Amino acid sequence: MTDTVSEAQPSGQARPEVERQGQNAGQDAPRRTSITIDAEYLSGHRFPYQEDMSLVEGVDLLAATPGQDINWLEDVELLEEDGVPAVFDRYSNSFLKIYFPIPEGREDEIARKVLIKHLHSGNSYGIALKERHCKFPQPELGPWLEGSRTVGADWTTPVLEGWEPPQH
Amino acid sequence: MDTVAPPPRFDPRGLVELDERVPGTAAIDGDRGSFDARDLTTRQINLELRRLVYELGVREVTVRNPGAKHSLGVGILARCRITFEGSLGYFACGLIDGPEVHVTGRVGWSACENMMSGVCVIEGNAGSLTAAALRGGDVVVRGRVGARTGIDQKGGTVIVLGDAGSMTGFMMQRGRQIICGDAGHGLGDSMYDGTLYVGGKVASLGIDCVPGEWTEADTEFIARKFSIYGLGSPPELQKFVCGKKLYNYDSLEPSERKLVL
Repeated sequence: MTDTVSEAQPSGQARPEVERQGQNAGQDAPRRTSITIDAEYLSGHRFPYQEDMSLVEGVDLLAATPGQDINWLEDVELLEEDGVPAVFDRYSNSFLKIYFPIPEGREDEIARKVLIKHLHSGNSYGIALKERHCKFPQPELGPWLEGSRTVGADWTTPVLEGWEPPQH
Repeated sequence: MDTVAPPPRFDPRGLVELDERVPGTAAIDGDRGSFDARDLTTRQINLELRRLVYELGVREVTVRNPGAKHSLGVGILARCRITFEGSLGYFACGLIDGPEVHVTGRVGWSACENMMSGVCVIEGNAGSLTAAALRGGDVVVRGRVGARTGIDQKGGTVIVLGDAGSMTGFMMQRGRQIICGDAGHGLGDSMYDGTLYVGGKVASLGIDCVPGEWTEADTEFIARKFSIYGLGSPPELQKFVCGKKLYNYDSLEPSERKLVL
């Protein structure tokens, strides 16, 4: 995967895991690879709620989840990625880093709120993939938000240009 | 003159009953809907469910006479309440993300496999592989369950009021199971992580499954779940966890680590 995000990071920090590929070393546009994938790497930029806790304080976790408790969020906890606090977004298989200071004792709660804000905002990369690739009709923003539009109702078999079916 | 049979039709998504149409037979009253599944095929029932939930915004659906058909209520990815008045067959309510399901009868193998979130309450017994690869949400079985309950479980909670079969929690990676009755041989065999609570006798522990230390968080968790689902007072439970001798996450590659989160 070509790395284009390190320049887009507001902090200007280089990703520690980015390395130059040998075959491209010394060329004008070196190709880089990364062994980890996080949400801002996939989207090319950070989101405001990664840096400002006030943007997630109002998230109602009980309202955002089925049943009478926080349901699936029970398994979501604050983790760490590249030495930075992060929450895992299972819908895009990527970490969402959290850059603001997290009050002691509220680690998991804040991680869950940041994740729900991310999903409600439609910024999870998995949501972008739904529009393009999902094969069956389903709510674009999943079960986290009421009134989401339906995507996947018009899926057709992809056609590989120039491919002919075998004669047998 | 011989006629040439048309080539068999194929759907790359794996669909059968290709030409099935939405039956549109449900009676709708506000945000509630119900329909009789007795004369409908599996795909017709699932199409009708999706029409009600996705297209019409119905939030409470009752399916009468499901007739233990297989694969009902699968892949529903929205918040809603679904009641099946009767029993379901294999692979009931798999791959769901959001619904709160109530099954008044029994279910066959692999109910709620790969469930992402939501609630599924089963009044009767459940077959083997219940909640296989469960990712999140609560699965409550008021009866007994078969073997390998929660195999490959990666999150969520399984509550069983009765007994559980052999290899319960096999290769469990995260999540929790509360077995109020007895557990069969090989409890928690090859588990990576997660927590098993057992109220009755354990026939034998599996490889690397060891007794765990009870904490206040366990007490709060058990009391909360029993209260939510009206299960009365919880029995005295033993806690079992992974001994971390066989596998541990520290040795996993980052990509493998993400598979279990």
